[in-house]
Amino acid sequence: MKRVVFTLLAAGLSLGAGNGSAEEHPGKESIAKSGYNGPSTCEECHPGTAAKFLDTVHWKHASKVTHVENLDPTQEYGMKNRIYTFCNGNDIVNNLKETPKNAAGKTKVTGCNSCHPGNHIQDIGSTGPKAEAAIDCLICHSSDYDFRQRKVTKNEAGEVVITQDRSTKAALAVGKPAVKNCMVCHESAGGGVLVKRGFAFTAEYDVHAAKKMVCVDCHKAKDHKIPTGFDPNNWAHDGVRVSCLDCHGASPHKDPDYNSHTAKIACETCHIPRTGGAFAKDFTKWEMGADKFYEPTTLHKEVNQNVPVYAWYNQTVANTPHFIGPKGSRTDKKSKIYPFKIYLGKGFYDEYTGNLLAMDFAEPMATGDTLAGIASAAKTLGIEKYKPVPGWQTIYFSISHLVTKKKALSCENCHAANGVLNFKELGYSDFEIQRLTNPGIYFEKLAEKQKEDW
Amino acid sequence: MKKLISALMIVSFVVMGIAGFSATAQADDVKMVGVISKIEMTGKDAKSANVTLVDNKTEQAVTVEVTDELTLDKLKDNRIVVGDEIRCKYETKDGKNISIMFKKTAGC
Repeated sequence: MKRVVFTLLAAGLSLGAGNGSAEEHPGKESIAKSGYNGPSTCEECHPGTAAKFLDTVHWKHASKVTHVENLDPTQEYGMKNRIYTFCNGNDIVNNLKETPKNAAGKTKVTGCNSCHPGNHIQDIGSTGPKAEAAIDCLICHSSDYDFRQRKVTKNEAGEVVITQDRSTKAALAVGKPAVKNCMVCHESAGGGVLVKRGFAFTAEYDVHAAKKMVCVDCHKAKDHKIPTGFDPNNWAHDGVRVSCLDCHGASPHKDPDYNSHTAKIACETCHIPRTGGAFAKDFTKWEMGADKFYEPTTLHKEVNQNVPVYAWYNQTVANTPHFIGPKGSRTDKKSKIYPFKIYLGKGFYDEYTGNLLAMDFAEPMATGDTLAGIASAAKTLGIEKYKPVPGWQTIYFSISHLVTKKKALSCENCHAANGVLNFKELGYSDFEIQRLTNPGIYFEKLAEKQKEDW
Repeated sequence: MKKLISALMIVSFVVMGIAGFSATAQADDVKMVGVISKIEMTGKDAKSANVTLVDNKTEQAVTVEVTDELTLDKLKDNRIVVGDEIRCKYETKDGKNISIMFKKTAGC
C-alpha cells in the first residue's frame, strides 16, 4: 500500500517536473531512506524499463540492419560482431579478458565490451531477470557517479567483471543524462579522447553546445531507444532516426537562396565545414608504449583540422571487403550531397576468401604479435583455414557534429573553380560546371552584403 | 660627436629590441606524454587543479595547472585518476605551467 501511494505521489510530482534534473527528480526521499539497490530501485517508479532496455543497441551492441548491402537482413550486426578496420576487434573475438604478460611482466583486463552498461557476467545481449538486475542505470543517469567504482577486474571466482557505482550518493544525483555521461564511452573510442571522430561537443566548436544543449536533446530517447543518423560507418540502430530537419525544418534560413539548396544539399555540408579525428590506422603493426603494452598506430588530427569530401548519399551503404561508404547519385531523388571524412584502415585479409579477418587484441596488446591475434579470433569464429595478407579498407565517416552558424560555407566556398565541391565527381557536365563556378550566380548578392558589412 | 650620437642610437636600438623581444616573447608550447602521480584540487570551489605528471621520455616530474572546466570535472568525478597516462600540452607563464590540452591517452 505504501509503495502504491508513493508511486502515485512520485508520478504526480513527475508530471510537474521540468527537465528531470537531479534536484527535481522525485523519489529522493525513498532512495535516501532505503538506499539504492540497482535497477529495482528505479523500477519502483519506472516499471518495465529494464526489460525494454535489454532490447536496445546500448545493451545488445547490435540490431537488424536493412540499409547496408551484402548483409543478411534477418541477422543482427554491430559492435558485437562486425569486422572492419576502424576497430578490427568486436565483442565476440575481443571479449573482455586478461592479456598475457607483457615485457614488464604486467597484464591488463581489456576488451571491446568494457563499454557496456552491464557487469560482464550479464554481457552483451543477455536477457532475463539477472540481466535486468545487472543494468547500470546510474552510469548514464547520475551526475555524481564515482568512476573509481567502475573497474574491469576479476572477482573472487576469477571471472572478469565490470564493477559499478551503486552508492546512495550516486543514486541521489539521478536525472537526465548530461554530455559527460555519454562521453564516458563515446569520447574515447578508437584509441583515445576524441580520436575517432574529433567531435569536441563544447561551446567553442558546436553551436548546439553553445546553447547549452546536451546529447539527448537531439538524440531524444523513447524507452531507451536512441535516435541516430545514417553514418555509413555505424550500422546498428534502435529503429529511430534523428536529423537536423526534426527541429529546423526544410526551410530554416531567412535567405530563400539558402533554402533553395536544402532539397539537394544536406545541412551538414554547409554547417560543418571541418571535422577531426582518425584518418588512418594500421592494425598489422602495433607500437610499444611507455607501459610496455602495444597498440595500433592511429593517425589523427585535432578538432576542425580535417577537410571533408563531399558525395551523394541516399542513406544506403555500399559494403565490400575494401570499401564501406555512401551510395547515391545526382539522378537519385533520395540523394543529397553530404560531407564525409575518409578513413583508411590496414588489416589482415584472408587470401582464400578475400574477406577481412578479425583480431583478438589480447596477445597483440601484450607482445605486439598481431598474427597471434588473428589466429585467436579465427579460432573463436571457427575459421580453420585462412591465409592472412595485409590490405587496406576505405571507410566513409559521416560528419554530424561541430556545427557552426558563423563559419558555415557560403556561396563563394562552393560556387568557385577552386571551391570545396568537386562538381565533376558529383556528376556535373563541363557546361554546368562553368555555370556553377561563375561568381555571376551570387555577385550582386554578395556585393550588397559586402556593403552592409563595411 | 657623430660617433657619440651613432653609439647612442645603436644602444637605443638594442634596448628597444630587447624590450620588444621581452614583451612579445612567449614560451613555446610544450608537449608531453606522462603518467599522473599526484592530483591536487586548488583554488576557491576547486576551480583549478595542480596535476603532477611523470614524463615518459625524461622521467622527470612536471606539475601542470589545469583550469578548463571539462578536465576539472573529470578530475572531480575520478574519470581521470592517479596512474592515468595523459597527453598534455602546456605553456609556461610567470614560472607556472598552464595546461592548454589535457587528455587521457587510453581508449578502446
